[in-house]
Amino acid sequence: MKAREWTLAALLALLMLYAWRADPSFVSLRAQALLSTHIWELAIVAIPMLLIVIAAGIDLSVGSMFALCAVVLGLLHERGVPIGWAAIAAMAAGALQGAINGWFVARLKVHPLLVTLGTMAAYRGIAEGISTARPLSGYPEGFLALSHENLLGVPIPGWVFLCLAMFAALVLGRTVFGKWTIALGTNESATRFSAIPVARVQWLLFAGCGLACGIAAVLTVARTNTAKADMGMGLPLEAVTAVVLGGAKIEGGSGSVIGLVLGLALIHETREFVSWHWKLNELNLIVLGALLIVSVLIQRVFESRNRVASRPA
Amino acid sequence: MKRFSGFLVVLALVVSGCSSGGGAGSGEKPGEGKADSGKSIKVAMLPKKKGVPYFTSCSEGAMEAAKELGNVELIYDGPTSGEASEAVALVDQWTAQGVDVIAVSPNDPAVLGPAMKKARDAGVRVLTWDADADPSAREFMVNQATAQDIGYALVDTMAKDLGGDGATGEVAIVTASLTAANQNEWIKFIKERLAKYPGLKLVATQPSNEDQKLAFSVTQDLMKAYPNLKGIFAISSVAFPGAAEAIKQAGKSGQVLVTGLSTPNDMKTYVREGVVKSVILWNTKDLGYLTVQAARALVDGTLKPGAVSLKAGRLGEKRIDGENILLGGIMIFTKENINQYDF
Repeated sequence: MKAREWTLAALLALLMLYAWRADPSFVSLRAQALLSTHIWELAIVAIPMLLIVIAAGIDLSVGSMFALCAVVLGLLHERGVPIGWAAIAAMAAGALQGAINGWFVARLKVHPLLVTLGTMAAYRGIAEGISTARPLSGYPEGFLALSHENLLGVPIPGWVFLCLAMFAALVLGRTVFGKWTIALGTNESATRFSAIPVARVQWLLFAGCGLACGIAAVLTVARTNTAKADMGMGLPLEAVTAVVLGGAKIEGGSGSVIGLVLGLALIHETREFVSWHWKLNELNLIVLGALLIVSVLIQRVFESRNRVASRPA
Repeated sequence: MKRFSGFLVVLALVVSGCSSGGGAGSGEKPGEGKADSGKSIKVAMLPKKKGVPYFTSCSEGAMEAAKELGNVELIYDGPTSGEASEAVALVDQWTAQGVDVIAVSPNDPAVLGPAMKKARDAGVRVLTWDADADPSAREFMVNQATAQDIGYALVDTMAKDLGGDGATGEVAIVTASLTAANQNEWIKFIKERLAKYPGLKLVATQPSNEDQKLAFSVTQDLMKAYPNLKGIFAISSVAFPGAAEAIKQAGKSGQVLVTGLSTPNDMKTYVREGVVKSVILWNTKDLGYLTVQAARALVDGTLKPGAVSLKAGRLGEKRIDGENILLGGIMIFTKENINQYDF
């Protein structure tokens, strides 16, 4: 782990120590397992967001893809499609939306910020249109168990996240695709002149992001028993915050899965503890904003240190 | 290491900043060690949306009850956005904290249902208040008013404003939509009660589909179609101001009366101008008060399935109908008293 990651770990340890002294029950395993149900969906979406940011991109449409996948699941279920197939269709819908984003970015060479800003509105609009903004609820018990059951003390969505995170770490660290992704974020024009299939890398990254949104949507619907077109409004902001807090440079080229996990944990624990301890829901957004600013400050400090360090003696 | 200390300072600032904010914002900080006495309980109360005058006034009554009982530690928190998923997060937190009772006013019963069931599985007692959820998700509901209370109160108030028992004239209903379950229940009891006043004749029931502009034009049409129209029951929170505005703009203030359910602040100007003589609502403070009393009784064991009444402090004995604890007692706001209420 790098210094940046140690800093996050230290901050997290400090927070948990403070929480433990102020309110020991917060740190208990039982409480933590229950509260963790609030973070997994965001965590799952944040993984592909990390890879996209490393490749110097961004995906603002994650919240809308998430909502559209949920609505697809809800509508299919309403029409009597077996829940398993409805869930698979929802995930496929996610991959398709992501692939469309990827196609615009890779083939038409439009900046991802603009592409996903556009599809953010479009996907949300489609979700509202096809569901007529109705909440879709009433899923079978077996499906709801997907989010309510624990395996070795960890909720099932937590295991999904762990698998995806390990997969992402392997891809990033051990595969050619990972090297291409980092190269793309470090210097895109240089990458284009090398033998790297830029378009395919971008296309796969965005499609993967859509798929992750689909998975997160299925788990969320199982947790809340409802699919609604206005779900996941805050998702892009939260996912980017976690990625940046985790040490990824928004300009691309660097970032790690461990950093992201620590960033997510810090966001989650801070938010839960503030609302647990002070019982003021209105503090939630302030905390998220404060963390984003803190992360930028940390970045600044490390950059200036690196500059000092690299100066010839 | 020097550089690290910088981040620690930032974190300390964030944490301490939140702490001072919390201290200033609420007087309900948990008293540590209080639970050891074995008698004190924690009651968490969730409004549909925090910061809305209606719910704030409910919370005042709840705090009053907690203070009066002395052994109830009240937590009042809710989503400032009104998002159901945030309400779920709070219910989960309270479950993890092991509070004794959670009282929920669900803004989306389908979303909150699973969280409420999870709370019950963990041994938390769950009530609903103000709005109900799936009966299996809670033990009792603190019900502010039955359809009968509301239907009868609407008719009685209209009759009184039109001249008492001998009131005469044509009346009409502007409802939400023709399929709205609550409103249809009220209409049933409005019709039942109208039988008591033979002089009042119901001439029309029109939908306004939760659209204030439509309520406005529907009311205009009604006044044209029935020139002798004396009163309108505008029985949705959207239809009420729409109908009042139509009467005001037609210059028929005082000739055509409109009544309905609303919070005092929303209708104050119409009451002052005389377009509306009476606004009907339940006592919001008493609703919060009764909720906390019910929570206490639930833990004490005095409120259990099959109970037919509940002793609720200054409110006295309250009737229980099945799993509904009835607040009863409709409040009527008029020119004389409306300015005393700020919600």
